[in-house]
Amino acid sequence: MGDATETFYGVIRRQGITRRSFLKFCSFTAASLGLGASSIAHALETKPRVPVIWLHGLECTCCSESFIRSAHPLIKDALLSMISLDYDHMIMAAAGHQAEAILEETRARYKGGYVLAVEGNPPLNEGGMFCIDGGKPFVEKLTSMAEESMAIVAWGTCASWGCVQAAKPNPTRAVPIDKLITNRPFIKVPGGPPIAEVMSGLVTFITTFGKLPKLDHQGRPSMFYSERIHDKCYRRSHFDAGQFVEEWDDTNARKGYCLYKLGCKGPTTYNACSALRWNGGVSFPIQSGHGCLGCSEDGFWDKGSFYDRLTTIKQFGIEQNADEIGMAAAGVVGLAVAAHAAVTAAKRLRHRPDRPAHKGKPS
Amino acid sequence: MRNRAQKFLAAADAALAGRSIRGGTAHIYALVRLWHWANAAAILVLSLTGYLIGTGTPAIWGMASGGFLFGYIRFAHFSAGYVLSAGFLLRIYWALMGNAHAMQIFCVPLWRRCFWRELHHEIRRYSFLAVEPERGLGHNRLAQLAMFFMFTQTITFMVVTGFALYGQGAGTDSWQYKVFGWVFSLWPNSQDFHTWHHLGLWVIVMFALVHIYAVLWDDVVSRRSFPSIK
Amino acid sequence: MAVQTPNGFNLDRSGKRIVIDPLTRIEGHLRIEANLDSDNVIRNAVSSGTIWRGIEVILRGRDPRDAWAFTERICGVCTGTHALTSVRAVENALGITIPENANSIRNIMQLCLLVHDHLVHFYHLHSLDWVDVVSALKDDPKSTSTLAQSISPWPLSSPGYFKDLQIRLGKFFGSGQLGPFKNGYWGHPAYKLPPEANLIAVAHYLEALDFQKEIVKTQAIYGGKNPHPNWLVGGVPCAINIDGIGAVGAIGMERLNIISSIIDRSIEFVEQVYLPDIAAIFSYYKDWLHGGGLSSKSVMSYGDIPEKANDCSGESFKLPRGVILDGNLKEILPIDHGDPEQIQEFVAHSWYKYPGHCCGLLPWDGITEPSFELGPKLKGSKTAIKELDEGGKYSWIKAPRWRGRAVEVGPLARYIIGYAQGKAEFKEPAERLLKGLNLPVTALFSTLGRTAARALECQWAAHQMRHFQDKLVINIKAGNTATADISRWRPETWRKEAKGYGFTEAPRGALGHWITIKDAKIDNYQCVVPTTWNGSPRDSSGNIGAFEASLIGTPMADPQRPLEILRTIHSFDPCLACSTHVMSHEGQEMASIRVR
Repeated sequence: MGDATETFYGVIRRQGITRRSFLKFCSFTAASLGLGASSIAHALETKPRVPVIWLHGLECTCCSESFIRSAHPLIKDALLSMISLDYDHMIMAAAGHQAEAILEETRARYKGGYVLAVEGNPPLNEGGMFCIDGGKPFVEKLTSMAEESMAIVAWGTCASWGCVQAAKPNPTRAVPIDKLITNRPFIKVPGGPPIAEVMSGLVTFITTFGKLPKLDHQGRPSMFYSERIHDKCYRRSHFDAGQFVEEWDDTNARKGYCLYKLGCKGPTTYNACSALRWNGGVSFPIQSGHGCLGCSEDGFWDKGSFYDRLTTIKQFGIEQNADEIGMAAAGVVGLAVAAHAAVTAAKRLRHRPDRPAHKGKPS
Repeated sequence: MRNRAQKFLAAADAALAGRSIRGGTAHIYALVRLWHWANAAAILVLSLTGYLIGTGTPAIWGMASGGFLFGYIRFAHFSAGYVLSAGFLLRIYWALMGNAHAMQIFCVPLWRRCFWRELHHEIRRYSFLAVEPERGLGHNRLAQLAMFFMFTQTITFMVVTGFALYGQGAGTDSWQYKVFGWVFSLWPNSQDFHTWHHLGLWVIVMFALVHIYAVLWDDVVSRRSFPSIK
Repeated sequence: MAVQTPNGFNLDRSGKRIVIDPLTRIEGHLRIEANLDSDNVIRNAVSSGTIWRGIEVILRGRDPRDAWAFTERICGVCTGTHALTSVRAVENALGITIPENANSIRNIMQLCLLVHDHLVHFYHLHSLDWVDVVSALKDDPKSTSTLAQSISPWPLSSPGYFKDLQIRLGKFFGSGQLGPFKNGYWGHPAYKLPPEANLIAVAHYLEALDFQKEIVKTQAIYGGKNPHPNWLVGGVPCAINIDGIGAVGAIGMERLNIISSIIDRSIEFVEQVYLPDIAAIFSYYKDWLHGGGLSSKSVMSYGDIPEKANDCSGESFKLPRGVILDGNLKEILPIDHGDPEQIQEFVAHSWYKYPGHCCGLLPWDGITEPSFELGPKLKGSKTAIKELDEGGKYSWIKAPRWRGRAVEVGPLARYIIGYAQGKAEFKEPAERLLKGLNLPVTALFSTLGRTAARALECQWAAHQMRHFQDKLVINIKAGNTATADISRWRPETWRKEAKGYGFTEAPRGALGHWITIKDAKIDNYQCVVPTTWNGSPRDSSGNIGAFEASLIGTPMADPQRPLEILRTIHSFDPCLACSTHVMSHEGQEMASIRVR
């Protein structure tokens, strides 16, 4: 392919990086991967771009929208030079059978060599026909494309955990992708949606380093999901000092105090928002005065109101938080104790206290 | 029976006062008392700080850098948690190494006929249908059951979830997370653990209520429990 | 064989049937089928929404203050507009008023969405229906530069700039890996642009891709992130602190400056890139005036962007409010969202069932029970559909009607109503554009008109952002910094039972949410969404919706490559996750796929 091919090398040369620094970058990369520098350089100079098939199930397209917000790399560079996004309903030129032909071609031509990116998830109720794609259940397309893929990237909370359509009572029986596909390398990139630079960072990690990133025990890339929002929140000092916003738009809110008491889920949410921030780093939810919803966490829709500190417990068939349940239970116990004490006192008044309290012999 | 109880408690008191009677046994009972009161103190601190951590404190004034109120509250919670956990570990050690009574709160012999008979008797006694206490030493069967389900189990749950949640703050590479982080594969969203850990607080409050009342009641009714000697 | 629908379209399903599924470059999943006559003119069209998520049933029993977050996830493309509609519905039900600053900030966020969404829609979802990317390679960069400089002062227009781009595109296409441009209809006879115009459009496709991420920073600053910013019942979550302690954490000078700069750049981009491109591209397509459909007959707009907080009157709204029926531009009919006679939804041809089956229901009383059954003339099977039978049920979209009439909604509807109301801000730019193209006003009733109205509205919205940003600053200057009213935040302050509605003009058209609250929980929640109006199937009396109507009579150059259908459907900017999010009764036992 030679000169005609748009490669990673071509892009960085155009961005003003010399061949010398390119080779330096390659030797650094090679050292960290334990490979020869020249082989990496060669690979980046000549390797065809990784084909990516991006499927949409039950979703809201926020992941695609977030992806195109990427500031570094610019998404135009990613599309023209880093990956080959051969199939994605949202931006692809082809439609109908011309679009479907691409899937067949990719399966045949890049067997085991394409990345399957999935946005949204399949519903299983109604024979899968709550999401019809090409006249057939979406789940069929998903499983057939998964079979021959190199790896699967589950974009967003829909594909990773189920998200809003899987919130109770989950009328369509939407399931996360890893419930259906268990035999392929699988990366979860949760978030409603994930941060743009997390998405593009993951893609470029794979194309740059030629391997899948290290994952945590929940299958998320450790580089982005190993710390909580809370751990790197710029309002953390207010948390430690015990300075909380009590009500919306109060003096404390204007001073930027901690949103803990208004239900911020930063302490339980693993994501990079507080470190990378959103939209080129201008803000993130807490910076703009609203607590974290916990949108990259499993089942965050079903933990009670987003504005409650103590989340609702539904297991007892009633909706109460831990304090309400606990106080009620402790109250019942307290009453029982009091009643028992009263009965004891009454009994003791009737019997003389100095009389032996038992009929049996002392041991 | 009462004599025996008095005897060993006197020994325990003596041990606490630094005098040794009949060698090792007294030391051990003294240690059990020490464990008990260390637990009581730790649980008191854990409950109060835990409640505040769950609810948040009223905001304090001044610059964030000048205050560390919530930090201290959390520090007290974690320190008391360590005290409780260390004591609990020692208690487990003693359960394995000590006599049969040492095992009582860890193992309920549900498979034994005599257990059920004795339990039935204790229930009758607490329902004012019988007056005679069943056994002399250690916890009675009802107490044993309460200790096992409300104390031992709850404390185990609280220690495990507590360390797992602590591990979140300490980082996924901390030993706490490595040892206890597995719990998050049960419920991936740790918000659930915060909720259930908080509910555990209330189970312990209930336990404390029952526990203190039962001790006093037993003392008044049968004059056989520990405070009566003091 | 031809039948006439009550709303005046002749349908004939006897000719050759073509199917487009998936119809791409939209949000969600859409299927279009059409019958062509012997001259390859479309004589029958079928629009089928092919997803259903059930978000409204999920909402039942939840805290009304949380509803915005759920409904926001109906759609990530028109992100935030459902959330705004939802907080308005809850505020309407509970009698909550919002401060003036909150109104300005909400307007800025909604206008930001209009600007962003219209721009992305034109360049990334729609332009490839007009622009032949491959043809751009054949061009001489010098003549491209000359053309570009003749239509706009936009600085990125040198011959060198276009040359570099052409080289880059050459390498890209030379690699054989065409990515998103793979299998496009390149070389199709319906493409009319000369190579230099194609190259300009491709350059701007890429520039718009770079620039769109800047516009949404407005939402990120006021709402914390985009897509899916945060909202608040009773106001907005971001507090204002201009020069007090901790001001750097709140909306202060630096934040206001970023937004101001984004607004300036947006106005510049829209006026120097988007609008000149529209004018230039359409000068080559002014003979292609198909796709008008319902727009010349019945259009509707709820109105939006209130100048005054909490004032939902037509005078306060900057976007027009009203309905036009039967092409009678002289009479603008008033809308009442609470009137059970006006907005109703029908399910005769949708995969749902009502107890009575034929009647329409007001959204407050709306019920939906999924009922996936197909008509007798279906080709294929239930899980491998080859051709739908539009005589039976054929879509997950319901059929909403205004007083029983199908209407078109969206930017074109807003411009037609604004034009009919004689509002200068809508009338003059439209007339100027048409005059420049040497077209009569009736040319607006077309695919081209829909796309042009969107571009004009984008410019209008960018300027309105400036208006509300200035208004916000003036209000802060006057010492008013409130952004939320919390007097009815706590459920204890609510009525035991309440019902309300909220509405907006989303980028795609009229959007309404209806809520009933009981014991501080959501009792019923219904959304009627722009694409539900436009993409609706037939109703029980046989009226066809806007998508279907717009395709009738369009000639196709090559039925195997249905570029013309894509062009017209895309001009509506369909959003299928929105239209088919709707609701079900819980506890339905349905056939189910087993998880391995």
